[in-house]
Amino acid sequence: MNPPIYEIKGLKHNYDRKTILEINHLSIQKSSIIGLVGPNGSGKTTFLKLIGLIEKPTVGEIFFDGYAVEPFSDSARFLVSLLPQEPFLMKRNVYKNVSYGLKLRGNINDIKSKVEESLLTVGLAYNEYARREWYALSGGERQRVALASRLALKPKVLLLDEPTASVDSLSEQLIKDASLKAREQSGTTIIIASHDRQWLYEICDEILFFFQGKILETGQENFIYGPWKKIESGKWGKKLSDGQTLYVTEPPNQNSIAVINSFTFAQENIAGSDIEIDLKGILSRLSLERKTGQIFATILVGNLPLTLKIYPHQDRKKTCFPGKKKTIRYRLDQLKWI
Amino acid sequence: MKYILEGFFQAFHLLSSGNDETYSAIWATLSCSSYSIAFSLTIGIPVGFCLGYYHFKGKNSLRTITDSLMALPTVFIGLIVYAFLTHSGPMGNFSLLFTLQGIVIGQTILALPIVISLSAAAVEGVDQKLHIMIMSLGGNRRHLFLTTLWEARHALMAGAMAAYGRVMTEVGVSMIVGGNIKWHTRTITTAIALETNKGQFGMGVALGLVLLFIAFCVNFSVSFLRRRN
Amino acid sequence: MKRFLPAALCFVLLVCFFPTVGLSQKQQLLMATTTSTDNTGLLDYLIPKFKEKTGIELKWTATGTGKALKMGENCDVDILMVHAPASEKKFVHNGFGTDRREIMYNDFVIIGPAQDRAGIKGKSIEAALQIIKAKKAVFVSRGDHSGTNKKEISLWKISNLPVPEKEKWYVQTGQGMLATINIATERNGYTMSDRGTYIKYEANLKGNPPLKILVEGDAILLNQYSVIAVNKKHCSNVKYHLARAFIEWITGAEAQTLIKDFKLLGKQLFTPNAKSYQ
Repeated sequence: MNPPIYEIKGLKHNYDRKTILEINHLSIQKSSIIGLVGPNGSGKTTFLKLIGLIEKPTVGEIFFDGYAVEPFSDSARFLVSLLPQEPFLMKRNVYKNVSYGLKLRGNINDIKSKVEESLLTVGLAYNEYARREWYALSGGERQRVALASRLALKPKVLLLDEPTASVDSLSEQLIKDASLKAREQSGTTIIIASHDRQWLYEICDEILFFFQGKILETGQENFIYGPWKKIESGKWGKKLSDGQTLYVTEPPNQNSIAVINSFTFAQENIAGSDIEIDLKGILSRLSLERKTGQIFATILVGNLPLTLKIYPHQDRKKTCFPGKKKTIRYRLDQLKWI
Repeated sequence: MKYILEGFFQAFHLLSSGNDETYSAIWATLSCSSYSIAFSLTIGIPVGFCLGYYHFKGKNSLRTITDSLMALPTVFIGLIVYAFLTHSGPMGNFSLLFTLQGIVIGQTILALPIVISLSAAAVEGVDQKLHIMIMSLGGNRRHLFLTTLWEARHALMAGAMAAYGRVMTEVGVSMIVGGNIKWHTRTITTAIALETNKGQFGMGVALGLVLLFIAFCVNFSVSFLRRRN
Repeated sequence: MKRFLPAALCFVLLVCFFPTVGLSQKQQLLMATTTSTDNTGLLDYLIPKFKEKTGIELKWTATGTGKALKMGENCDVDILMVHAPASEKKFVHNGFGTDRREIMYNDFVIIGPAQDRAGIKGKSIEAALQIIKAKKAVFVSRGDHSGTNKKEISLWKISNLPVPEKEKWYVQTGQGMLATINIATERNGYTMSDRGTYIKYEANLKGNPPLKILVEGDAILLNQYSVIAVNKKHCSNVKYHLARAFIEWITGAEAQTLIKDFKLLGKQLFTPNAKSYQ
């Protein structure tokens, strides 16, 4: 049995005495592509820095290919590479930036061809770009060079933190293609944090949801923010922009966040029970999760986007298309608070 | 006023005629300042790096101390070093008083706070993202150290030049520790002090211009190196 | 290969730095003398001849008398050449020095502007100082506890006058003799100098200095120079044998003649008076 490329046990990371990341147990298989989603500040970047061996977790252990590792570990530092969100290069030309990692490893044979190859992968012509200085590149070009420096090292694990966040659309496409090529050609394990859920759903084997420093159970989560008001006796909720009320159970406090996992489509005319709540909305988007064949439908209720999963066979009548009015239903007893 | 003009002519004459005393003083100045800069950079840059790069308790107080030490009067340092090197002092056995080596020790102490402070500032000016980049490419602590220094090279160079300037133009240490002994420990600056004391202002100005010329040459070669980068 | 270069360079530099400390000190003698002596240029004139004769290289550092004596006490020099007999005798008495020999003398003079507004020319030293105090004429002093300075202070006492420490017209420079003379020139004031330095000053100004000799000749204005070897019993590191070689030479006929022949502007600065060395 292949050991997982990563195994994490009892990990907790604090900053200024606050716990910002807590993961009890996680394993990641070799050559898989893992997506990390979650709001800003939910711990994705911290997680990547820890498994990227940039920082050491306050508590807990990280195992890489079976070995316990930490920053500067010789058994791992040449095999893991993190591409941070902000494009950043050293104050030197493109060639020197890309060859830096190779030289550090003592890999001095054939540097030129390796540099040329990785620049090509990110869509930069060697002759045009190799001698360009760091200040003569656009943001997108800089991020591509940064990616090329890491690809040139043929790492076992490539970690990408919002790789397409601050770049132009051409660079975005090239970066996406280059990352996948790494997996195809070298079996690299790729872990990507991104807000581009659509892209992640297309390519990832597994998606991890981060929220306030924890990884939630996998599945499509809908987070609904307060503030909540007591509507009638025993009933709490919030008014949506189209006048509907989203009912919830009693929240722990006024600003708690409600998590609803189990939306389904409801027939308009069949009323539900006391604990089933219906909302009227309009279907705005459909996405395919390639691995599982599941379809995600986004319904806009007022201004609130809510997502639910359906399988193709559930829509034999083909009533799901963007623009169609739908009624969705959820159960109060399946609502969670965080 | 006329001694300033006199000084210009004399400076030219001293250099072109290969005046022995002048060249001996030039040699003393150049070798002392070069050695002391070499030592202070070797010790000061790593210390300044640690001070600028790492975060620890008391970092700010330490920075304040080194910043203040930059303003130490040269005669003060000269006196302290003299007290150590004199034969009745702790390091008397080495017979370093009235030697160029003794001056180098004093000038190194003079230059260290400048090198440390400005190196720390240079390192602090380097983007934090560099740290992540180097580690993500597989670097170890040695790479962090060397690459960060290289990224900060312009600011470090400026710090080195500031230290060099201070050391090359100081009188207090050279005079007290060196003793201004002709042919041996007479530097350009102590020679200027002597000539001024003797009332030979023209000669003092001449030597000052010689020193200025040397400083210019050094700075010129440094800026030439900088342009090549 | 590229990596070794900086390390090799460092090694070479370090190697160059250290050895010169011990090596060349074999035949070198270190002397502490006063700025007055040094400023006249006498040592520049004499010392090469000493080296020719004996092969010994004499290095000297010039400071005030007080510091010179202190350096002897601290064992930082091998021999002293100073001109403060009272302090010198105390130095020897305290066991810091041996082989004290008088080698030459000149005298102190009061110099001042040719105009001589205070009118002290030709007077005795006591009378001159009393007039200066009465008229509050600017008088510039070394103020540095050097031999010259101590002499000047003793003159005020001998003239039955308090040392004019806080008086506005008494300017204390804290510097060497030539610097003090220059300040006196700028302030159009009077000062006391040794004749040797005065002649040097005269020579610097090509024979036409603003300040002239106004008072001279009193027996009390005698300025005696001596050499003293630092006591080997007190300082084990001093090169006593080299110091003795110098003392023998400077009290010998050849050096004494050289001293007599040392002239600036045709004037003799020092009168040799060594008794033959035993």
